[in-house]
Amino acid sequence: MVENRVVGKSVKKIDAKEKVLGTALYAADIKKKEMLYGKILTSNITHGILKSINTEKAKAVKGVHAVLTGEDVPGLNSTGMIIRDEPVIVKKGDKIRKIGDTLAIIAAETEEIAENALKMIEVEIEELTPVFCPYEAMKEGAPQVHEKGNILSVRKIIKGDVEDTFSKCAAVVEGTFKTGIQEHAYIEPEAGIAEVVGDVINVWCCTQNPHMDRKEIAANLNVGLQKVRVIQTTTGGGFGGKLDESVQIHLALLAKATNKPVKMVYSREESIIYTGKRHPITMKYKTGCDAQGMLLAMECEIVADTGAYASYGPGVATRCAVHATGPYYVPNVKITAFCIYTNNPRSGAFRGFGVPQVALAHESQLDMLAEKIGITPYEIRIKNALRPNMKTATDQLLEQSVGITKTLEAAKTRAEQLLKIRL
Amino acid sequence: MNTINISFKLNGKDMKMEIKPQLLLLDMLREELGLTGTKNGCGEGDCGACTVLFDGKPICSCLALAVNADGHEITTVEGLGSEEKLDPLQQAFIDEGAVQCGFCTPGMLLSAKALLNKNNDPSDAEIKRAISGNLCRCTGYTKIVKAIKKAAKMKEV
Amino acid sequence: MKKKGVGIANMWYGIGNTGLPNPASAYVELLDDGTAIVLTGCADIGQGSDTILAQIAAEELGIDMDDVALISADTGVTPDAGKTSASRQTYISGNAVRFAAREAKGVVIDEAARLLSVDPEKITLRNKILTAEGTEKSISLLDCLNECRKQGKLTLGHGSFNPEVIALNSETGEGKPYACYGFATQVAEVEVDTETGDITVLRMVCAHDVGKAVNPSNVEGQIEGGVSNGLGYCLTEEIVVENGVIKNTDLATYLIPTSLDVPEIESIIVEDPEMTGPFMAKGVGEPALIPTPAAIANAIYDAVGVRVTELPVKKETLLFKMLKKEVS
Repeated sequence: MVENRVVGKSVKKIDAKEKVLGTALYAADIKKKEMLYGKILTSNITHGILKSINTEKAKAVKGVHAVLTGEDVPGLNSTGMIIRDEPVIVKKGDKIRKIGDTLAIIAAETEEIAENALKMIEVEIEELTPVFCPYEAMKEGAPQVHEKGNILSVRKIIKGDVEDTFSKCAAVVEGTFKTGIQEHAYIEPEAGIAEVVGDVINVWCCTQNPHMDRKEIAANLNVGLQKVRVIQTTTGGGFGGKLDESVQIHLALLAKATNKPVKMVYSREESIIYTGKRHPITMKYKTGCDAQGMLLAMECEIVADTGAYASYGPGVATRCAVHATGPYYVPNVKITAFCIYTNNPRSGAFRGFGVPQVALAHESQLDMLAEKIGITPYEIRIKNALRPNMKTATDQLLEQSVGITKTLEAAKTRAEQLLKIRL
Repeated sequence: MNTINISFKLNGKDMKMEIKPQLLLLDMLREELGLTGTKNGCGEGDCGACTVLFDGKPICSCLALAVNADGHEITTVEGLGSEEKLDPLQQAFIDEGAVQCGFCTPGMLLSAKALLNKNNDPSDAEIKRAISGNLCRCTGYTKIVKAIKKAAKMKEV
Repeated sequence: MKKKGVGIANMWYGIGNTGLPNPASAYVELLDDGTAIVLTGCADIGQGSDTILAQIAAEELGIDMDDVALISADTGVTPDAGKTSASRQTYISGNAVRFAAREAKGVVIDEAARLLSVDPEKITLRNKILTAEGTEKSISLLDCLNECRKQGKLTLGHGSFNPEVIALNSETGEGKPYACYGFATQVAEVEVDTETGDITVLRMVCAHDVGKAVNPSNVEGQIEGGVSNGLGYCLTEEIVVENGVIKNTDLATYLIPTSLDVPEIESIIVEDPEMTGPFMAKGVGEPALIPTPAAIANAIYDAVGVRVTELPVKKETLLFKMLKKEVS
């Protein structure tokens, strides 16, 4: 085989030079003539109905060019990566479902003017009983976050017969694992700038997917896709947190309403409050093996709290289910993964998509079984690791590039050298 | 509104500015002078993305008032090196793959610069301490530490 | 007293969206002077996809990295490449770019085959020279491009790739959710202070099967960053929510790892070639952090005999459990 010339080589990153010089342009670095600054008024209650919103006083403030409410969104007024369930701006008479839901957006000549004008907006909200625990939310009679109910999605993976198999196992372990909420904490907070040129709305922003942004902007402004151009600026980290819409649609609405360039930069606090998080998940796991440590059955119930909106929640829960066994051959499997609405902050995509959560559970249980059977953590892993021509829990036949036995051997060998131990 | 006249050295050049007393150093650099290499990651002195050198010492420019610069010397990433002649630190960051998203990079470079100015052969522990106020979410710091160590050696040559 | 422990954790991760179509596309233009422009919708968020995709184009076209200009993530110019998520861009956009480059290259290959009077399958393009395999015959890329232009032939290519998946059955989950998987093993060494509950991660050894490392330094960078992120998730990072309200909204109260918190990270790149990947590559972005909390949790058990059941691991919970264990 001919050797590669470029692939496989640690060539220097093509964007590194402008980044070390400080010349790479992030969205917050862009300035335009006659540029306005955008700000958002958000809800400070978790569940309620927006009874009225009066923006007259805010509109009258000198230097304010636009104050938009839900009525001013010409398109769908909804966004969401898997299902559209999140209002771009909550409309009068509609529901507020979490802290940080947008009630109005403002464009003004300075950030200060925009911030002061926000305080002049009068809002009347009828509070509703919120629900914060996903298990409570699943019960009948729980406050309903969305009309269709709080159970957003259920993913099942069933193979063989777990009940019968557990009774034949030499060792069975059971336990519940819980994970907390993680924030992406990219060092660059969300930022963007929008400008209408001719009849095209240009949006420069940090993002993980400009084409999805275009779709969301077009749908909410009720214009064709060809009338929206999204240009990714140098992006200061994402980790899944810049997949959902943040400033994009709001900026496009304000630029269209004012016919001026509008810029919006989230503060760190805004970034933490407004954007998605890693799903907190509760996992009830039961795993059994034979006397040699070969896995025979696994049963788990996974409950992911997606907060007030779906975002990538159903995808995360599905990925939890598909990966719940870990990279092992398990002949009998019963997995159920729920994604649940609550009035908590929205959770969404985050590096790993639910798999770091289930990894804690299956890797802990493997160690527990190994201890019961009297073999090492390494032994139980190498015995059960998937190999080519084996089937996964979803009955997928893995044909090639199944490197888990190789990584296990490589890590073991190196760790033993470095730590001077036997694994 | 009241304004104050200040004079200071910025990236080796003498500067005179008429500013509002409450103007932050970060805002003066980014908004008034267009030096956007200095980043704003939190505005509260927690992340270090806005680090500049103040008489050679690293400070968070989001916590300093612009008036504090009066009579002092400020160095930003724009003063560290140029397209034609990179600082050894900048070159080492490129060579070692120490740059990912790049948002922490300018501040990180300046904290490293302050260290190398007073210690041209730092240990890993000294490097880690010197950049402990600069948060990086992408790299796990490993390649940044390597790059700073490499730059220290490049300096000696 | 300080007690050390070692823990091991495995992970697997399906590359791309689960059981759903998730295509990416790209355009490549080979220019008159043998340089090239790549247009891709793929958003580089710092992880380095611009570099990886330029490397793939350069390799396929037999030209140097410097000869490739890449424009990414501008909907006015670049074709849709889907999301930068699911560790999918090296595998999916990488294939799209490779196919686009191959189509552009096909034009010069056909032309070279005609000029050299050989079968197009015999022609290879490397170092800007088109060579007829098994013969002495060759033509420079520049001359060949020149010939193409004389005949009004441009050298353009479009490529797209959609991984082969089968949707999951709603009752049984049966299906083929991903075309390929990344695999990894991480070993953590920790030290637990039995008096304070302080946990220090001393070392991580991380072996990742990436199919083929297009850029080994970048792969290491992903592993090192992922481990750091996973370490924070395991030990310090927690958004505290009370009645729907986030209590810690700044980086002074939400603690991500600093340079002082990250241990020595030993990265081992394992290459079990993925036959459907671009130059046999898969993905590594997310796999990098997935096993980290589990490996640390198992190391804590090895050190003090307490099973971690909640993330992040709180000192006080650990101390309480250690005490409870001692009493019983």
